[in-house]
Amino acid sequence: MGTVTRRQLTNVLAALSIVLILAGLAFGLPALNRALPADRSIAADRPFRIGAGVSVRPPPGAVLDVTGTRPGATDATALFRIGPVQYAISVRPYDGTLTSAAARLRQRITDTSGYQVTGAQLAVATASGLAGLQGGYAAPGRGGRYAVFLAEGRTIEVTVSGADLDLGNTLPAIEASTRTLRYERGR
Amino acid sequence: MTVPRLRRARRTRRTTAVQPAPRGTGADRMLRQPAFWIMMAVLVAGAARMAVVGGRFVGVYPFATAVAVALFALLAVPFWLFVSELDFLEREPIALRVLAFAWGGLVATSVSLAGSEALDDLVAKLGSPELAAGWGAALAGPTVEEIAKTLGVVAIVLIARNQINSVLDGVVYGALVGLGFQIVEDVVFALGAVALAGRGDDVQPVVATFLLRGFLSGMWSHTLFGALAGAGLGYLVVRADRPPANRVGVAVLAVLGAWASHVLWNSPLLGDGLGGGAAALLAVLLLKGLPPLLLILLLVRSAHDREADYYVGQLAALDDPELITEGELAVLGSGSRRSAARWYAGRRAGRRARTAVRRLQRAQATLAVELSRDACSVSDGSVGRWSDVVREQRDVLRSLGHPDAVAGTPSWRRTFSLAGTTALAVAVVWVALTALGGA
Repeated sequence: MGTVTRRQLTNVLAALSIVLILAGLAFGLPALNRALPADRSIAADRPFRIGAGVSVRPPPGAVLDVTGTRPGATDATALFRIGPVQYAISVRPYDGTLTSAAARLRQRITDTSGYQVTGAQLAVATASGLAGLQGGYAAPGRGGRYAVFLAEGRTIEVTVSGADLDLGNTLPAIEASTRTLRYERGR
Repeated sequence: MTVPRLRRARRTRRTTAVQPAPRGTGADRMLRQPAFWIMMAVLVAGAARMAVVGGRFVGVYPFATAVAVALFALLAVPFWLFVSELDFLEREPIALRVLAFAWGGLVATSVSLAGSEALDDLVAKLGSPELAAGWGAALAGPTVEEIAKTLGVVAIVLIARNQINSVLDGVVYGALVGLGFQIVEDVVFALGAVALAGRGDDVQPVVATFLLRGFLSGMWSHTLFGALAGAGLGYLVVRADRPPANRVGVAVLAVLGAWASHVLWNSPLLGDGLGGGAAALLAVLLLKGLPPLLLILLLVRSAHDREADYYVGQLAALDDPELITEGELAVLGSGSRRSAARWYAGRRAGRRARTAVRRLQRAQATLAVELSRDACSVSDGSVGRWSDVVREQRDVLRSLGHPDAVAGTPSWRRTFSLAGTTALAVAVVWVALTALGGA
């Protein structure tokens, strides 16, 4: 049996160091990310600025998940959590019609394996007068609602997802929150 | 077989860092390195991870995925040829070039998918969502990606140390790791755009991404950053004549330079500072991309010229116009002059002469490397064999009435042809972008 030379040992150790650094990047960083809390408390009694000129009054008891929240001047997202239910709002530039914006969101939902749109699509409006369309979708063990609004060259997409029982308990508060969506130019 | 009378070429301070690689790919030696097998396992893991990612896209958007892969694979070809041409005089073994590309496309990407997203979230958690929205992409992406790509060059050093024998070799491997990363990342981005568009299996977002990321930002992307980091590692490996602290310092600076160029490119600086429209977009691209591009091109040129001086010096020492003429000595060390010589031969004596000049240049380059190997070790007869190949091509050229593969005088026709083609390509991309609404 041959002996391991010093050169071979150095070679192995250096290669294992590379593997260790790669593992640190691929698994260490996500593990550290999971170890740190993402939730921030927010006030439900005043509007939360999502970005791109859009604000919303969060549902009572909701917390902000900073990993899904990215304010911006033209694109913005906010992710709220009410217990296990996710309530996401996304604002993007868009120059099409409300119907095509809703079709686009529905397509994205059904592109996810196992997800399908359920029931009819209904017209909705916010308290500030933004017109929108809303519907529902289902996935194995989960359900959800979506809504789309148009506001001066941008689309505001709302998606709510969670287990059916949790959704039933929180949907009224979330729908009330969605009705407080407001767009103000230049803010 | 006629062996030329050998004279030792004079080594200058400028060419100290250049040493010829051993003959062949050194496959046996590579297979004996434990690092080779460890890196193969890492590559297989990266390939498996990227197959899962790709499989998801193929399942939902089969046509868009096929178009994205085809378009970006085509884009990789000119980049690959350019990077390979950089080291024309002493080409790196194809197996190592493929390994570098695969590392970038399979390992660095799969590590970065998970790592960059996590680091972006950490910026939001430890800083704020506002900080992550503005600077998350500028801090997370470059940090994870530049480390993962640089490790690819380190892996090649561990597997085939003797193939890194000039700073230019580090540039080539670094650029190829970057190219592999760039191509696979672009495919993922293109399919992300398809998903975001919400129009099903539609190729328009793929074409828009191809024009934007492939053309407008392709020139100053990962290939460039990888080349800079690779140059630093090349310096660390080959400049044994310099103090260790100096070599490590240069390598660290080069990797930091690659990181800083990437940060600048991803940063929100000038994001909305030059107004809207296509011209403003182009101005921002140039302001952010051009300084690193010029800096890195200067560095690459310096490394290239050092290597060219060394190998052309080997041929000059022969003082044999049958093997290389004075005019050809002036041509062989420069990619543009080699190309001009081929073009000139084609114009004067037809397509066969153009092909013969290409073969002559390749044979002269190989002969130069063999001469330098003989200066360092025992001859194995390769010098004689390659001298004969050079003479054969010389005979072909002589029979075609074009015995000297020189570049000729600069031709306005060629300059106009190049400028016209470039302008046409830019115009086509611009019109396509505007039509797609990408600009």
